[in-house]
Amino acid sequence: MVCAAIAALLFGAVLSRAQATPEILSSSPVYREVTDEAGRSVRVPQPVRRIVSLAPSLTETVYALGLQDHLVGDTDYCDYPEDAQKKTKVGGAINPSLEQIVALHPDLVLVTKGLNRLETVHSLDALGISSYATDPHTVDEIITSSKKLADVLGVPEAGASVVGDMQHRLAELQQRVGALPAKRVLFVVWTQPLISIGKDTFIADALRRAGAVSVVDSAQSWPQVNLEEVALLQPDFLVFAESHSEAAPSAVEGLANLPAWRILTAVSNHRYAVISDAVNRPAPRIVTAIEDLARQLHPDAFVEKPDSNQKKMDKENLPENQRPSLHTSLQRDDLKNGLLDRGGCACTL
Amino acid sequence: MHPLTFRRLFLQCSILLVVLFFVVVVALKFGAVPVSLYALGRDLFRVIFGQSRQISSDYGLIVVNIRLPRILLGIIVGASLSVAGTSFQALLRNPLADPYVLGVSSGAALGAILALIAQPYLTVSPAFAALLTPMGAFLGAAATIAAVYFLGRREGQIDSTTLLLAGVITASFLSAVIMFLMTTLAGSNLRGIAFWLMGDLSTSLQKSVYWFLGVGFCVAAGAIYTTAADLNLLLAGEKEAMHLGVDVPRVRLVVYIAASLLTGLAVSVSGAVGYVGLIVPHIMRLIFGSDHRTLLPTAALGGAIAVVFADTLARTVVAPAELPVGAVTAIAGAPLFIYLLRRKLS
Repeated sequence: MVCAAIAALLFGAVLSRAQATPEILSSSPVYREVTDEAGRSVRVPQPVRRIVSLAPSLTETVYALGLQDHLVGDTDYCDYPEDAQKKTKVGGAINPSLEQIVALHPDLVLVTKGLNRLETVHSLDALGISSYATDPHTVDEIITSSKKLADVLGVPEAGASVVGDMQHRLAELQQRVGALPAKRVLFVVWTQPLISIGKDTFIADALRRAGAVSVVDSAQSWPQVNLEEVALLQPDFLVFAESHSEAAPSAVEGLANLPAWRILTAVSNHRYAVISDAVNRPAPRIVTAIEDLARQLHPDAFVEKPDSNQKKMDKENLPENQRPSLHTSLQRDDLKNGLLDRGGCACTL
Repeated sequence: MHPLTFRRLFLQCSILLVVLFFVVVVALKFGAVPVSLYALGRDLFRVIFGQSRQISSDYGLIVVNIRLPRILLGIIVGASLSVAGTSFQALLRNPLADPYVLGVSSGAALGAILALIAQPYLTVSPAFAALLTPMGAFLGAAATIAAVYFLGRREGQIDSTTLLLAGVITASFLSAVIMFLMTTLAGSNLRGIAFWLMGDLSTSLQKSVYWFLGVGFCVAAGAIYTTAADLNLLLAGEKEAMHLGVDVPRVRLVVYIAASLLTGLAVSVSGAVGYVGLIVPHIMRLIFGSDHRTLLPTAALGGAIAVVFADTLARTVVAPAELPVGAVTAIAGAPLFIYLLRRKLS
């Protein structure tokens, strides 16, 4: 016991000396004070030359802003664009290695409140490493968040251009599907157990932008949903994000073989929409996923005909089962085409 | 039982201190970022002789400000859990007694979760907010200990079987409450809880917390050590001990409170690092015998070695990502426990 006490005291003394002089790595003398989206005041070295991203969405945003050469580290899950996989990995978003981050000498570490742990931020603070947090909850906030991040990173022009493109494409989408009756969908995050999304998530907002509405109305971000309840709500479509292993086409089709799932008419009628996993990431690429979903759910709105009455016809859309049969089969073909074209965004424009 | 000689105590502790030293060196050297032994020695030399300003390399920052505090935390947590386990096993005369079986870890976890839930509604300074989770965990542990102590009494006396059962039931009840909160409450702050429930040493703490832990450990472990000779007699049975002049109720109260304090301290900073309090005392008993005057110090050192070593594995096996240290202690601890048990039987 005495030995243990002495050892503990010895280490205590060593530690107290060590921590009395925290080393700040950055040699940049110029700092800019900004307030991040978690409401913290952050000292950002100017210019920001070395960035570590702790979330796939932030990595994508950094690439979208053309700052990939300044990105010196990211997480194991940062897989888009492909080049991001080659960056030095600092571990997962929830359990990154602090020492690996320190060794990369970052000027700024990017975190997002929806994914990273508060403890990580506290630890970085204790090491004298600046971290900037984003916290978007809607598509609009993704836009403002990207713009603000571009300013913080010193590339406001790139930010304006990225944001301008997002806004332009969303406005165009709004014109096409905004007035159509929204499709009622179930966004499937996980099938066993069934996890969907809450109404206050950016994914729910993304669905609204695509002319869809989630049938799940929960205040939780990732609610576990009872299949019976979904059967009562009978969504028109099931929406899956692609990267998910369970959303592989065969797995999606396999749901129709499960008796519990067959009670959903969307399952028995094979009415699925599979979109890119970009929908799960609050980054500029989410617009592509939104366009893709809109195309699959509202194929008519994307059929260009010389006849300018097309839009009017769509607005007068009858509920599906009351349509003339010819129209229905036509729509199915369009849906098929839409699925084939998935991923390309300028195909029918 | 051998008579206690300082020579024997000194010898046993020295052996374990040497092992601990090597484990600490290994823990300092290995991690996600490679550090050479030379740089390690140089930096440590500078730290010890007050020249930490000269450490300009980031390796120094990594070793001194990330790995060293973490190792220190591992030492305190391991020693606390192991001493608490040894005391509970002696006190309850039950080889299965351990802080986790008694529900303390679940209580601490619930306290931490409640603190996380309350955090957004409280307007406190960021420095204080960082302390909220450990404080909640400590209060949860203390409240659980009090509740289990109360439930475990029968006709005003502590009954070891009733106490263990009360602990087991309280633990599963609190785990259910935790599951309920985690599934019903929205809030991204709870994402760290899963890691925390498995035991995790990665969070960096303020310096004052280390002093608090160190002083708390010395006081509580010291209090338990004053009863070491009485604990030996208690092994023969409570009545026998009483006839031999042991003030059994006093010993029980002192050890119970002190061991609970140790557990609360450990859980409040590291979460639920399982198996250490159960297995390390058994290993030390097999190696050094069951005289509590030597068992308590050796168990403290053994616990420190076990947790520091397990945490080194947790940091390096899937580097640069990290495992919760509790996963490592459980994976390594359970088979080891079975092995020791079988060997002892045969």
